Amino acid sequence: MEIRTKRIFLMPHLCRGVLSFFLAIGAMAASAEEVKPLIEPDVRPQKVDESLIDTENFELGVFGGVINIEDFESSMLYGVRVAYHLTESFFLEANLGLAEGGETSFEKLAGNVELLSDEDREYRFYNVAFGYNILPGEAFLKGPFSGDTYAFNTNFYLIGGAGATDFAGDNRFTAMAGAGYQVLVNDWLAMHVTFREHFYDIDVLGETKTSMNTELSTGLSFFF
Amino acid sequence: MIKLLQRSICLLLFSMLSLEAAADDWWKFWVADSNTQQVRVAEPFIDFRSGPAQGFPVIHTSEKGEWLTLLKRKTDWMKVSDAKGRLGWVSIDDLLLTEDATGDTVSITEPRFDDFRTRRWESGLQMGEFDSTAVNSGYLGYWMTANLSAELSVSQILGNSSEIQMLSAALVHQPFPQWRFSPFFRIGGGQIKIKPKATLLSVDNSINSMAHAGIGMRCYVSDRFFVRLEVNDYKVFTNEESNEEATEWKLGLSVFF
Repeated sequence: MEIRTKRIFLMPHLCRGVLSFFLAIGAMAASAEEVKPLIEPDVRPQKVDESLIDTENFELGVFGGVINIEDFESSMLYGVRVAYHLTESFFLEANLGLAEGGETSFEKLAGNVELLSDEDREYRFYNVAFGYNILPGEAFLKGPFSGDTYAFNTNFYLIGGAGATDFAGDNRFTAMAGAGYQVLVNDWLAMHVTFREHFYDIDVLGETKTSMNTELSTGLSFFF
Repeated sequence: MIKLLQRSICLLLFSMLSLEAAADDWWKFWVADSNTQQVRVAEPFIDFRSGPAQGFPVIHTSEKGEWLTLLKRKTDWMKVSDAKGRLGWVSIDDLLLTEDATGDTVSITEPRFDDFRTRRWESGLQMGEFDSTAVNSGYLGYWMTANLSAELSVSQILGNSSEIQMLSAALVHQPFPQWRFSPFFRIGGGQIKIKPKATLLSVDNSINSMAHAGIGMRCYVSDRFFVRLEVNDYKVFTNEESNEEATEWKLGLSVFF
């Protein structure tokens, strides 16, 4: 009797055991099925397609600053700049700049004398140059408001080239040499501060002499 | 002058302040979603640098088997992101040792000497002397066969007494395209415009035709650029009794595509 009653009490346990056994088998069967999904994804391995990757070796920018035109004061300078990066270190650059010569000391002192017409006072130059990123590095800027520190890639570069300067009714072969500091705000935007010396021979004041013109400018450029 | 300086300083300060705002990742929409160019690291590890040059520090390293997404390329560097979104610049030389989804080695073109031989377009800037006066010049060339190309060039010659502008077309023959130092011959013609400097007396500009022949040498340097040296002899057809002649030499750097 005791055994019978025991069996009655044990029945639910047995049932539960059997049930869980079948459930386990079912689960195993289900997991075996999962190896092969109902819908097979239609994805074929793809090769890397280079043409889909954006290349950013060109840089287009504008600059503004001050240029001192020998004998003709210092003036505001504006211009555009295009660069092509050949390697991580070397780049080619083309510049177009525009300024306006001021008055010589002689014109100021003598009063009503004008050495050049307004048109001849226009100072225009172009040049093509070869640049070298001599000191690549990083600059750290602490945000003035948030207190976060940002790291920017920078380049200190040397640049030299030649072109022509159109000033005082004369167009002269011009050599240029200088250095600049580039801060990359992100991958495609950069800030420049540059210092360049432009040399050319000119005879506006009688005899031929070498004119030295120092450019100090800052600009923004975009990589594309 | 002080005003100018103030303006420049203002401009500089303004751009410094705008740095912080621009540093945020708001520009990410720029990156196309469709870009799923992925490679798997096959060497034991691959270095991520903070910028696209050897001089920038290594900021992260991915292990063998990790998948990297290729984002953009600058010169010989590729910006990549790993599965956790970490960004960095990997050199193309390292990328050429990775595998793509098919398990093959990634094929990314790195301009080499082989490409120099099979180039189609070339363009360059040159400087030199034209009859002992400084000359600046630029040209564009198209290779029709491995030996023969057509070129278009513009020059500006800046002398003490005149400014000369030239536009010319030329045919260039290169007998040994497979040589690293490859000589060439060119022959062509064009127009020459002589502008006398009007400081003493005003003289009209004169436009004349000219023909030229020359020899030169291309010297492959590395990547996609080469040095080009050439010597040309010009004959300018004038209305006067005799034609004028001039010799020119130019040296410059060119790029091929």
